[in-house]
Amino acid sequence: MGSLDSYLPIFVLFVLALAFAGLSIVASKLLAPQRPTSAKEAPYECGIVPANEPPQRFPVRFYLVAMIFVIFDIEVIFLFPWAVVYDQLGRFGLVEVIVFAAAAFFSLLYLVANGALDWGPVRRVRPVSSLQSRTTASTVRRVGTGSGEAA
Amino acid sequence: MTGSTAILASMAAHLLAAGGIAMPRIDYTAILPELILLGGMLVLVLVSSLSPRPLPTEAYATATVGIGIASLVASLVLWRDVSDHGPFTAVARAVNVDGFGVLFLVLVSCILVVAPLLAAGHLRREGVGGCEYYVLALISGSGAMFMATANDLVLIFLALEILSIPLYILAGFDHLRESSGEAAMKYFVLGAFSSAIFVYGIALTYGATGSTNLAQIAAFLARNVVTSDGVLLGGLALLLVGFAFKVAAVPFHMWTPDVYQGSPTPATGFMASMAKAGGFAALLRVFVTTFPTLRGTWQPAIWVIAVLTLVLGAVVALVQSDVKRMLAYSSINHAGFVLLGLQAATARGVAGSVFYLFTYSFLVLGSFAVVSAVGGKGDERHGLERYRGLGRRQPALAVTFAVLLLAQAGAPFTTGFFAKFYVVEAAVSAHSYALAAVAMGTAAVAAFFYLRLVFLMFSDVGRTIPTHEGAATGGTPTDTLEMPSAGGVATLVAAPVAALVEVAEPDPAIVAVSPWVAAGLVLCVATTLVFGVWPQPLVDFAHQATLII
Repeated sequence: MGSLDSYLPIFVLFVLALAFAGLSIVASKLLAPQRPTSAKEAPYECGIVPANEPPQRFPVRFYLVAMIFVIFDIEVIFLFPWAVVYDQLGRFGLVEVIVFAAAAFFSLLYLVANGALDWGPVRRVRPVSSLQSRTTASTVRRVGTGSGEAA
Repeated sequence: MTGSTAILASMAAHLLAAGGIAMPRIDYTAILPELILLGGMLVLVLVSSLSPRPLPTEAYATATVGIGIASLVASLVLWRDVSDHGPFTAVARAVNVDGFGVLFLVLVSCILVVAPLLAAGHLRREGVGGCEYYVLALISGSGAMFMATANDLVLIFLALEILSIPLYILAGFDHLRESSGEAAMKYFVLGAFSSAIFVYGIALTYGATGSTNLAQIAAFLARNVVTSDGVLLGGLALLLVGFAFKVAAVPFHMWTPDVYQGSPTPATGFMASMAKAGGFAALLRVFVTTFPTLRGTWQPAIWVIAVLTLVLGAVVALVQSDVKRMLAYSSINHAGFVLLGLQAATARGVAGSVFYLFTYSFLVLGSFAVVSAVGGKGDERHGLERYRGLGRRQPALAVTFAVLLLAQAGAPFTTGFFAKFYVVEAAVSAHSYALAAVAMGTAAVAAFFYLRLVFLMFSDVGRTIPTHEGAATGGTPTDTLEMPSAGGVATLVAAPVAALVEVAEPDPAIVAVSPWVAAGLVLCVATTLVFGVWPQPLVDFAHQATLII
């Protein structure tokens, strides 16, 4: 069983994570006052009373942010273990990590070039002939009727 | 995520405490074709990110063809290495550079030379140009290459994912068309599912044999008799299911028609050729070299799957009214033929399967490129009726399609004939007479729906459609496609291309064919006819596909 000792930190972390999640839920149930009203149960929309159902499809740009997160996250996940055993890996490890980091950096460049960091008014990444300029009204109408999407 | 980082770091520290890391010596020349594809892919991404204006899709297509040619050269160099000095393993015995693997490196490179040409026209027409299509194709190609040369189940799984994930994205590439998204979703969900099954198969195999290395598994099974073999057989079965999903063998073919129909048409052709090449390469290697001792167990299973695949593919294709769906079922039928070679499990059978995959890749790429052109803008008009009278409107395009379809049907003087002949011959010489008979029967059935489409193209019934014969042909007689008799090499190449090119769509019945697509089609037809008349070089080449059995 000696070989399983090395998994102890993982197991402890697992238990801690479960305990934290469980405690949070239980404590919230026990301690928080429960006085629901219809206003409280309504979907939250910046404090404005929702006038209609939210459209099923709308331009979410957060997925690009999520992609940037993934790039850095993956990079860090591999950089940390590499840094820990840097001495052992030597020059070979350094070169491999540089190649890997370059590939990750290229994907970041690609994202930025495609407008992942352009906030503000929506700029079309590539011209799409079949879509007119997007406004709230057109989005809602387009989704609602299903027409207007055909070229 | 910092939690997992900490765990990884602590695991690395434990590894350090346990006595250091054994660094594999990496022979980069052994994986040079894959590295060329991946490096080229990175360059494409970099260029597209840094160029101030969007480059035309043809620029990326040209670059991809160049990368494909570079990897083809590297593969041929490796092939000469192998034929001079024998097969060798590299990268801690995870990569097996043998005749079989190198042959697939060549095949994948060829696909990557032809596919970008055939896709360029479509991408321009649909306005989805950009580097993405080509980048994804290159990644997928590197996955297929790793699958073909992998000597370790773990590497096969990684390669399978590298092959598949870009294909999922390519299926949904036409992001404004709903059916494309649907195809991507279906392919992704079922593909992920099959990958999970495949991993479980690897786990069980490892549990039963104590290794994921193919050579070590084979050695273990040769030395030991597994008395309670439930775990091993379970692992074998799950591996087979995972592979069968990828190569679309019945009963794991359900995704094929929908995905082939919904995907952008050039992506369908690419997917059909690339996924089958990579999937069958690994399937053949794993079953023929790793589990030869269990041959008595898996051969009947392959027999059943092959019969089902052959029959269902041919019969269901008969009743399709959509050309893409019809070709999807016909590709299922083709998968059955490749399975004949696996079922035989002889050197001859493997060579037959490899030959079949070689010819099939060009046929399917070319066929779907024609379908893409005829489908017109929007990639939606794929009904059989659309092809009525195509021979009058655009004879060169119709003749091209006819050649590709007849080759798929196995007509003499095309590579398709020899492909079918060699796998059936292998089945007969392995005494699988019933299977060979079924295969020939389904070939006859399949010939019906191929010929129906050919007759439809050259039938005169559709006179309601106005014909513009002068504009359609570009003035070049169509027989230059088949029999380029006189003239220099330049005319030989240029004339068929010129005959195929259709600049604009002067009326709705006439479809545009870009010079790029025309060039790609000429390549496909040329390989089909040249090696159909003179197959010996390709046959000799396929017989180099020696797996160490």
